[in-house]
Amino acid sequence: MSNIWTIVKKELKRFFTDPRMIIGLVLPGVLIFVIYNLMGNISMEKIAPTITDFTVYVENEPTEFQSFLNKDGWNINKNKENLSKDKIIDKIKDKEADLYIIYEEDFYQKMLAYDIDTGKMAPNIEIYYNSTSESSNLFYSYYLEILNQYESNISNKFDINRDLDIKYDVAKKEDTTIQIISMMLPFLLMAFLFSGAMGVCSESVAGEKERGTIATLLITPTKRSHIAIGKILSLGITSLVSALVSFLGLMLSLPKLMGTDFSFQAYGLSTILLMLVLIVMTVLLFTTLLTIVSTFAKSVKEATSYAIPLMMIVLLVGITNFMSTTATSNKLLYIIPIYNIVQCLIGVFSITIDPVSFLICITSNIVYIGLGVFLLTKMFNNERVIFNR
Amino acid sequence: MEEILIVKDLKKTFKLTAKQRKINKTNDLYKIAVDGLSFKAYKGEIYGLLGPNGAGKTTTLRIISTLIKADSGDVFVDGIDIAKNPDMVRQKIGFLTSELKLEDFFTPNYLYDYFSALHKIEKTLSEQRKNYLFKKFGIEDFKEVKIGDLSTGMKQKVSLVISIVHDPEIIIFDEPTNGLDVITAKSVTDFLIELKKEGKTIILSTHIFSLVEKLCDRVGIIFDGRMIKDDSLTNLTKEKSLEDVFFELYDERIGEKYE
Ligand SMILES: Nc1ncnc2c1ncn2[C@@H]1O[C@H](COP(=O)(O)OP(=O)(O)O)[C@@H](O)[C@H]1O
Ligand SMILES: [Mg+2]
Repeated sequence: MSNIWTIVKKELKRFFTDPRMIIGLVLPGVLIFVIYNLMGNISMEKIAPTITDFTVYVENEPTEFQSFLNKDGWNINKNKENLSKDKIIDKIKDKEADLYIIYEEDFYQKMLAYDIDTGKMAPNIEIYYNSTSESSNLFYSYYLEILNQYESNISNKFDINRDLDIKYDVAKKEDTTIQIISMMLPFLLMAFLFSGAMGVCSESVAGEKERGTIATLLITPTKRSHIAIGKILSLGITSLVSALVSFLGLMLSLPKLMGTDFSFQAYGLSTILLMLVLIVMTVLLFTTLLTIVSTFAKSVKEATSYAIPLMMIVLLVGITNFMSTTATSNKLLYIIPIYNIVQCLIGVFSITIDPVSFLICITSNIVYIGLGVFLLTKMFNNERVIFNR
Repeated sequence: MEEILIVKDLKKTFKLTAKQRKINKTNDLYKIAVDGLSFKAYKGEIYGLLGPNGAGKTTTLRIISTLIKADSGDVFVDGIDIAKNPDMVRQKIGFLTSELKLEDFFTPNYLYDYFSALHKIEKTLSEQRKNYLFKKFGIEDFKEVKIGDLSTGMKQKVSLVISIVHDPEIIIFDEPTNGLDVITAKSVTDFLIELKKEGKTIILSTHIFSLVEKLCDRVGIIFDGRMIKDDSLTNLTKEKSLEDVFFELYDERIGEKYE
């Protein structure tokens, strides 16, 4: 056991006393902080703070529906100025207006006369909104709710936003980007952890093979399993430091990025702890995988190129993050490596994590890391792998 | 005399990669590097493996040092089967070749302590031995300079010292003076003679006749992975010089090949 510690100490000394190495470890985090703070400054200006009054444009509103919008403080504009459709949509884009509702002419009559069996199209309502404006979003869902309720009462006599070719959500592109970033957290975390580990691990064993230093270690009476564990631990710690600096950079930028509403208070201590456990597991898993790749490779160059497909897989799996903002409830899926961590991260970030799924995820990762150590031990014993230059 | 190293019918075949086949200009899928090699070394002697390039010397020494495994045959180091108990063998031997490198980033002082710790040498003992060896090889002066900043000769000295941190009974030395300047080469050969005086056993490989004549008690001449002659230096050089003996055997061998 003491040999593991000896190896870990030496490896850490190499990483943390060499200024060039330290810069390499810390730089990505600093960059993230700087870039996201710049982005955060842009987003701050875009966030509307109050949602008590709405500005709604409506055309051809049937008198029978007027009660829907009849509320205090709501600024209902019947478009008496006769603004063009494009003008109003622009207003929504710029968040000066919240909603633009266009009923077909004689909507109410058409609706009453509508018979689904005729095969003709039902009368339509177009509703333009802006998903990045909180008030627009809110009002859109409110109005939709009323209409849907009404529609089901009168049995499907009209359609809402029937034309799939029209983009009814008129949000501006850069606004959506910022929203996506806040959704991307688990994905970003995976990407940081992997690139942190990749920078540290690819060079590790492949570099030692290239420079002929691994054999010097192998002729000492150190157990191969101890060498494997020592390598993984030291590389894991180093990758973790690198990844955590990146993550810290991201976290410190978040309040800026998400506006004043965002606060870490929403995440309790337990959430942060769960997240840390997941991060440590992820880093160890990535380190194990990448060290195996590095050991298998003939050179550092080869190790890096083998690591790229692995990174693609991690990023692809990370993208499942976007497919749903809630974690899967299928417990069996929590044994799939990498995917299970992404799912747990989604769960942790949305504070809906299920303890059993979390445990399955952690346990299976420990098993995978154990298998990895076993494989690495075998590889260190295999001259075809160690001397395959 | 006590047999401290026994090598019995050792065989090692390498599977050649496409690249190696190209370099060696051959279509053979396999290369027999060591072909039924046997010899013994006695405690306290210097045994030399003499052979041309590609004879299988390095491969043999790497097998004895547990870096690679033989396909068949046995090696016993001080009675221990290297296949069954490689870690115990690693405690007893020190292996030195120019292919074993030290990490550029560290100093001789740090690396000495590191390898000493991996060999589980007790701290004060390790310090004593370090002082002794560093003085002996003049490493004192540059013990805090990173390996990467040292000259080849200095590196070689540090490597030598680090391969014997654990004061091994058997020192295995592949081409001891290869690539060394004359002064470092001399200090290495002097040290080997001194180790012998201390009662250590030394197995070395070389293709340099004068080195064998200067150092070795017994010689094994190998061609193509096979032991052609295994005798004491005095017996071998009774009538002729070692060089003449070697080339006589070599010519015989070439003759056999083309018959
Ligand atoms: N890893 C290897 N793969 C393929 N062939 C090898 C390998 N190592 C050695 N050989 C071949 O085995 C033969 C013996 O090599 P070696 O033991 O290095 O000889 P020597 O040290 O006597 O010069 C050579 O022909 C060499 O090309
Ligand atoms: Mg050789």
